[in-house]
Amino acid sequence: MDNTIKSGNDVIEDFFAEILNVPNADEKTVQKLVELYGSGKFTERNIANAMDELTQAELKKIEKEDE
Amino acid sequence: MNKIKAINITGIRGVKDKLPLNLDKKSILIFGENGTGKSSLTDALEWFYRDRIEHLAGAEVGTKNALRNIFLPDSEEAKVEILYSNKNLDNEKTISHSLTVFNSNSSKEFYNYSNQSSNENLILRYRDLVQFITATKTEKLTYLQSIIGFNEVREIRALLKKFSSKYSREIKQTGYSNKKSQQQSILMECLGQNIVSPKQFFDACNKLIEPLKLGKKISSYKDARQTLKSIEDKEDTEQIEQIAFYNKIAETLAEIETDIDEIQKVYKTYYKSFTELKKDADKLSKLQLLKLLTEGLNVLKKDVVKDNFCPLCQQDKNKIQLIKELAKRIDDLKELEKEKNKVEEEAEELSSILENSISSITSLLKEKLLKTKENAATLKKLQNLKLSLTSYNEELKKDILSKEELTEPSKLAIDKKEIKELIAEAKKKAKEILDSQKGNIKIQIAVKLSRAIDAYINHRRLEKEQDILTNRHITFDALYSDFIKRQEEALDGFLKMFSSEINKYYNLMNPGEKVEDIKLIPIKDKTGEELEGITIDFKFFNKRKTPPSALLSESHINCLGISFFLASVKAFNKANQFIVLDDVISSFDSNHRTRFVRMLVNEFDDYQIILLTHEKDFFDIASSEAKRKNWLVTSLSWTADKGASFETPLVDLRATIEQKIATKNTDGLGNDIRKYGERQLKQIANNIEAKVSFRFNEQNEERMLNELLASVQGTINKHSPSDLKNKNNIDSILGSPLLIGNKTSHDNTFKENISDLEVFWEDIKQLVKTFYCGEEKCKSFVAMKFYDTAKNQIRCKCGKVCYDWKK
Repeated sequence: MDNTIKSGNDVIEDFFAEILNVPNADEKTVQKLVELYGSGKFTERNIANAMDELTQAELKKIEKEDE
Repeated sequence: MNKIKAINITGIRGVKDKLPLNLDKKSILIFGENGTGKSSLTDALEWFYRDRIEHLAGAEVGTKNALRNIFLPDSEEAKVEILYSNKNLDNEKTISHSLTVFNSNSSKEFYNYSNQSSNENLILRYRDLVQFITATKTEKLTYLQSIIGFNEVREIRALLKKFSSKYSREIKQTGYSNKKSQQQSILMECLGQNIVSPKQFFDACNKLIEPLKLGKKISSYKDARQTLKSIEDKEDTEQIEQIAFYNKIAETLAEIETDIDEIQKVYKTYYKSFTELKKDADKLSKLQLLKLLTEGLNVLKKDVVKDNFCPLCQQDKNKIQLIKELAKRIDDLKELEKEKNKVEEEAEELSSILENSISSITSLLKEKLLKTKENAATLKKLQNLKLSLTSYNEELKKDILSKEELTEPSKLAIDKKEIKELIAEAKKKAKEILDSQKGNIKIQIAVKLSRAIDAYINHRRLEKEQDILTNRHITFDALYSDFIKRQEEALDGFLKMFSSEINKYYNLMNPGEKVEDIKLIPIKDKTGEELEGITIDFKFFNKRKTPPSALLSESHINCLGISFFLASVKAFNKANQFIVLDDVISSFDSNHRTRFVRMLVNEFDDYQIILLTHEKDFFDIASSEAKRKNWLVTSLSWTADKGASFETPLVDLRATIEQKIATKNTDGLGNDIRKYGERQLKQIANNIEAKVSFRFNEQNEERMLNELLASVQGTINKHSPSDLKNKNNIDSILGSPLLIGNKTSHDNTFKENISDLEVFWEDIKQLVKTFYCGEEKCKSFVAMKFYDTAKNQIRCKCGKVCYDWKK
């Protein structure tokens, strides 16, 4: 019966393989998540840091325009 | 997948000397009375694969201390050696007197195999049978998710959900709409219009500075700041600072005013949840028992308490019932724990909004102009406002288990009227200073331009932040939805397949017993979003029922437990094609036992099964089924000097006899020859259908050589009077003095000399040779099942050994 069963690993691999096709998902955020998963760093702290970095980079763009 | 060729155990638990089990990849049925070492075999295998023995893990001595046989000399190592079909995996695991563990196989292949095997379902004991069936719904989910590798899935799912909620909460808590609207009000005040684009902003700024006729245009933020610098007069600095101070008071308080609405709203919710939960204080205080109950359940499941009584109150109590009741209490408390966690989350949310407001007002209170006499009343009011805000924080520190009540929301409510008055007053003062400089057009424009630049930059930043967080929230929400869809589809597919296997095995053991369509069903929490457990549901007399422990007998629950284990073996064991079943049918009646064995030999024909039992009846039932499938069948016995040992295999017994004869060693030689003869004669008698008087199973196995010889001779004389009667040597054996006596003659004091024994051995070998074909492709006794009806002959399988035989 095991041939038709998806293991936990299959579910995760499938998810990350098709993550860029998820409707309404922001490409930069998704790419960062794929990067973290690929390097075995998909943890709460790493995600939070990565998201903060993305936010700061976006806000810096505005600050540059404001100068 | 791997099968076992041989297991050698030395010095483990009840095994003192080497206990060899040569399986050659075959299944085996092992009988052993209680205390003969069956569990030692299982314990040894469990330790080999798991590095611990579950039922010893909680005991005072611990697994390692209890592992070595107590009579094993300190200088010797206790060991388990397993030889596999894949010889690269052969390993000997030893434990020394100092409890140092060592594996002889250090290859990566063995390391990987060992890791994989530690997670496989290899051993089932009676005590473990009901574990899954009586587990709580959450434990069932956790267990199944762990064996199908869903732990990581659960973690990723939780992370996606956490980040989706985090961004949603941040957007809500920051109150972007209010904050942006405040900045727009300032822009309206200073530039006379709302601003929605940079171009509009620069145009409005140019319009503002027009009266100064500076001869330059503002087309960037840099231009705006430079223009501001150029029009600010040093003489106006004091007024500008004062205006900025009052505007800061007005703007900070305006922000706090909007936060206060959110603070009061969240506190109201928190107060309601907190008070509601506190109402059931008794139940809540029992949350402290959760750990104890969970530990109690573990103790019962590990079979530390063997009889039907409660280990805490010492009262008689059916163990399964007790496990069921504990599991229910644990589930109830976990529900309560969830509610408590929810209240704690609300407290965190409130704390986060308060932190922003308190930090803003603390920064405001540092303004040096507040220290002036003129602003003393404002300072007092602002300090009071800070106190009011911190009083919410004090409420959050109250322990739900203490007697202290939360202050009602109405008593904590902050007077927004006073804040509004402070804002109005600050604005008024700023205006008054500005109005006092009416003739100074530069200061009028500089103040407006300065506020407008700050307001628009703030607005843009708030807008961008809101966009980023909203986008992030939408992204994580979409990813979470996609992920749970995948997880649920996979889990659903697995549960359907798995349920169908369980159903199959259960019904093979219990046909027509009105328990049908057993299903493992996922249960969601109250929100309908999160999986919180798995329950077992089944049709009982055509009505769906759950859970099984409420309706099924112990024997049926055990059947369900076995079915679950066997379904797990087929679904998840990838490295090993063998299983050990240790006394799993103890509560079964004879019908269930027969069906169990048949199910096992038919459905698990390709698996190597090590089936242990202490029940003679079951052993007898299982033996005939097992032999039919070419299983090995043996018995365990235990003596003080040797510990556990197996009945000697025939081949080994023959080699022992030959060895003793070669070395003229008569010690026990007669007994060995008699044992060998008895066992061969049983085969001969069985194959030629020699009749012996009826005996019950146990005694049937204990027939003596002379009785068997007499029966075989009688049958031969009747059916083959002109052929085999003259070709056998039974008369000669019956005439030997070495056959004198009965069962106890194995230990009698008859003096046997080597010459007599040599003759006796030759006679026995000759007799076996008469009935047995040793051809490589045949290796069978002459038997009625090979009877040649054309020639009226009894013969071996290939026909080389044959005798005239009248039916």
